[in-house]
Amino acid sequence: MAEQTLDCLGEACPVPLIKTQKALEKMAVGDVLIVDIDHSCAMKNVPDWARSVGYNVEIEEVAEGEWNIIIEKTK
Amino acid sequence: MSDTNTSTIRRSSARVKETPEQRARKQKIQLTAGIVVAVLLILLGLYIQTQNPKGAYIWMIGLGFGYTLQRSRFCFTASMRDPILTGSTDLTKAVIIALALASIGYMALQMKLTGVDLSNLGTENLKDVSKLPGHVRAVGVHTVIGGFIFGIGAVISGGCASGTFMRMGEGFVQQWIAIIFFIAGSVIGMVLMPIVQASPILYQKNPVYLPQLLGGWVPAIIVQFGLLFALYVLADWYGKKKAGEL
Amino acid sequence: MDEKKKYPFHEKYFKKEWSYATGSVLLAMLALALVIVTGGSWGVTGPLGMWGGKFLELIGINADSWKAYNGSLATYNFWKDQTAITDLGIVLGAFLSVLLATQFKIKKIKSMKNVWAAVLGGLLMGIGARLALGCNIGAFFTALPAFSLNGWVFWISIFTGAAVGSQLLKKYFM
Repeated sequence: MAEQTLDCLGEACPVPLIKTQKALEKMAVGDVLIVDIDHSCAMKNVPDWARSVGYNVEIEEVAEGEWNIIIEKTK
Repeated sequence: MSDTNTSTIRRSSARVKETPEQRARKQKIQLTAGIVVAVLLILLGLYIQTQNPKGAYIWMIGLGFGYTLQRSRFCFTASMRDPILTGSTDLTKAVIIALALASIGYMALQMKLTGVDLSNLGTENLKDVSKLPGHVRAVGVHTVIGGFIFGIGAVISGGCASGTFMRMGEGFVQQWIAIIFFIAGSVIGMVLMPIVQASPILYQKNPVYLPQLLGGWVPAIIVQFGLLFALYVLADWYGKKKAGEL
Repeated sequence: MDEKKKYPFHEKYFKKEWSYATGSVLLAMLALALVIVTGGSWGVTGPLGMWGGKFLELIGINADSWKAYNGSLATYNFWKDQTAITDLGIVLGAFLSVLLATQFKIKKIKSMKNVWAAVLGGLLMGIGARLALGCNIGAFFTALPAFSLNGWVFWISIFTGAAVGSQLLKKYFM
């Protein structure tokens, strides 16, 4: 049950999602990925995508305009 | 999922960036600033009204566009880029819905002027389709080239025209840079236009209006809404397929 | 998550993001509200060339004498330009939105790639919008629903461009 963080602060629109997809591909089932973002598009499209493929997702607003997206690779 | 008090995903304690006290203070500052800004925007609206007879109204709608785009995370660029880059068609579908709703409104506005049977078109009151509500404009090779390079530019810079302005307001320095070059590009474009318009291959000046092209409002409505519906279904299927594959 | 329980009113009405569907409905309605009262449809890029021309005049270049401007700069008035007003409105409306949601943050440039992306992207959009007589709003969002063929043609073209842009983004700007 490894935990990995992905720093996507300052990244423009599709980049957080693409990096998230790539990172999760390499992770094992049960692992948790925490994505650090500050893009309002990403705080919606990353969780939306992760949920659409069936992962467990939580969003935490950690600072003004900054979020942690916590994704558990469930399958 | 994220509304429960206790997290369901086991992880090391939250990456703390600010203490709760710091957060509360910063949030109060932003909220207060927001209220001050709101008041200033109202005052600015009153000023604009003195410069333009419909100024306050236009201002209100412009603010509405910005507020809506930001709050709903709406992004035209993403609607076109995501199907290819990430496999998501949520925004594509949202854009199609917006197009369909706007089409209903424009249909009504236009039909009132053209007549249900288009009989007013071409008469004294309505000689030219470009006078109808909506941007009924010339279409040609220039549209294809222009759209193509606009699409490249929007995806590369991380926002289209409305998206760039929206992100300027959100605080993205990248878009503050992009707008400068967007303006520069517009100047270049304006200089190019007389040359483009002189070329019969690249440009022809007549708009093509679907009700005229297709022989009436009935075929135009069927084609327009039929196509939008078909594209919605396609986007829906494609998005689900991409999600399932992963 | 504690904050959501502490200030539920603020959370619900000022912070929680709206659905895309809400965005769709509001954008369509606002666009219609605009054209019904003013007769002019929502657009974004129209004024940009004018602002650029005004800047050139400011630094001593007589752009108004060019065929492109043909004297139009002399009579240009920002507040009389509906599109200019709505453009400013978009910036400040978005600003107000993030402030009230306490989500405002200045996102600084992370690497030179972002700068080049903004430069190149901005230039391409500026030229493209003039060629197509509009952008994703003026040549698409208020053209296609107006039953104008240029809206459909622009949509196909911009989709194709976005595909190419996506590959360029992955290769050079990520």
